[in-house]
Amino acid sequence: METNRQGHTRYPPHIGRWLLALLLLALVLPLLPYAVATMEGTSAAISGVVHNPGADYWRDVRQRDAPMAGNTQVRGVDSGILISQAGEQWRQYRTEKLVPWSVVALGGMLGIFVLYYLIRGKIRIEAGRSGQLLRRYTTPEMVVHWLLAASFVILALSGLILLYGRWALIPLLGPAGFSVTASVCKYLHNYVGLFFTVLVPIAFFLYLRDSLFNFKVDLKWFMRAGGYFGGKEPSAEKVNAGQKAWYWVAMLGGFVLIASGLTLDFPNFQQGREWLQDAHVIHTIAAVGVIAFFIVHLYLATVGVEGALEAMTTGHVDANWARQHHDLWYKELQSGRGQQTVEKPPLSGGTHAGGVASPAPDD
Amino acid sequence: MARMKFYCDSERCIECNACVTACKNENEVPWGVNRRRVVTINDGSPGERSLSVACMHCSDAPCAAVCPVDCFYTTDDGVVLHDKDICIGCGYCFYACPFGAPQFPADGAFGSRGKMDKCTFCAGGPEIDNSAEEHRKYGSNRLAEGKLPLCAEMCATKALLAGDGDTVSDIYRERVTWRGAAGLSSGWGVAYGKDRDRGSRGLDGRAAGKD
Repeated sequence: METNRQGHTRYPPHIGRWLLALLLLALVLPLLPYAVATMEGTSAAISGVVHNPGADYWRDVRQRDAPMAGNTQVRGVDSGILISQAGEQWRQYRTEKLVPWSVVALGGMLGIFVLYYLIRGKIRIEAGRSGQLLRRYTTPEMVVHWLLAASFVILALSGLILLYGRWALIPLLGPAGFSVTASVCKYLHNYVGLFFTVLVPIAFFLYLRDSLFNFKVDLKWFMRAGGYFGGKEPSAEKVNAGQKAWYWVAMLGGFVLIASGLTLDFPNFQQGREWLQDAHVIHTIAAVGVIAFFIVHLYLATVGVEGALEAMTTGHVDANWARQHHDLWYKELQSGRGQQTVEKPPLSGGTHAGGVASPAPDD
Repeated sequence: MARMKFYCDSERCIECNACVTACKNENEVPWGVNRRRVVTINDGSPGERSLSVACMHCSDAPCAAVCPVDCFYTTDDGVVLHDKDICIGCGYCFYACPFGAPQFPADGAFGSRGKMDKCTFCAGGPEIDNSAEEHRKYGSNRLAEGKLPLCAEMCATKALLAGDGDTVSDIYRERVTWRGAAGLSSGWGVAYGKDRDRGSRGLDGRAAGKD
């Protein structure tokens, strides 16, 4: 290159074309090995690239790609697995999700009902007691209810103690004291669970007929939230929509709890850790859900609604209670089309020792 | 303070299971329980490697985090131990542990779990060192006698190292330096050093020598 007299730079001939060719080469050349590899059908064709056996080995050890078990002389559950990654996820689920979120869910539910009781108070029988009793539950229905209730309460309490005891009870009882409590809870949970397993299917069929949704009535009940938050109490059959929802939550939740619980209860079938972890996650989510709903049931059946508890303790309810909360069932009984007839209250004996005229004991 | 560590050198482990046997014998572990096991991956194919695995005495131990009765504790040496008087045999530590270390003797109906048993780094339990009660529950307490875990002491190829983490990593670093890139070379000279190198630090039979 030189500068002429006029001050213009003189380039070699065809420099533009050469530069263009160079540019194209720079773009295409890096793709060449890829093209060769593609044509040969294997990436190993690229010379100089060797698999690092060390990396492969540690990938095998940590089982990143697939749960691959090695061989071992030791006979035991998952013995061939060197490092199981799933345990860490389960740990995080238990310590960072299950414990705090179940406190929020169950504590929140309790708080809502304490507030509700303070604001709304007990839902009274508006017309007062009529003294006329209606048969609501048969003896088998009551017996199964209370057996199921007892086993459920034992299971829920022992489960919650095992879940929260480390934080709530060790400071109170000390490590040795809580160990005894927790041990008792473990055995109660494991063995009462077997009774629960028998009772839930019985309860399922026993209460199924009354708990099938009648969408015409029940949708309206749900839309008005059962009249619990103001407004006229919507119509309901023998079992109202909320009670039907509780039935389905308890029963379906119960079956999930049984299936996952039995998986955890019988380690003698040599099921591996991932089965146990998954079963535990399913078991605890179902348990928190059912216990949360159980708080609703417990409140409404005892302190929440006057005259409700005696349905399950005596099998009878007051006619005015039935007319207020289960109007369709009441009309059905009155018209005589129902299978259960209006009964005279027992004159003596039984739980209503005072007879007809005396006010109910919880008044 | 020293922090105790295990390391198993897969280039050396020959799957002889002496560590497993030594552990069972030394600690008289319950029937059906193995505190240590040797796992071989790619058995019979190129790339076959064996590793001896037991409790790795994690610094953030998942077993301790999930225990509902909080029965785990870490000693000053960084050994994770548990109290069998507190343990209720729920199995949660077994779910959480990545190494499958916690083991349960069957106790009662339907294989329900007894008190958990795992590797103690031959450091016993919370009882008085080398008391009869400690030996009955947890086996040997070699650490209290100034000895290292028997599994590593017995290892014929010195694949399994146990001791102060700094010393263990020094020994392993030295081995790797000789071998070159991991697993790319093999053979006696690579694994154990040339004749002239033998007897140098860490290769004279002491897993965690003090020199």
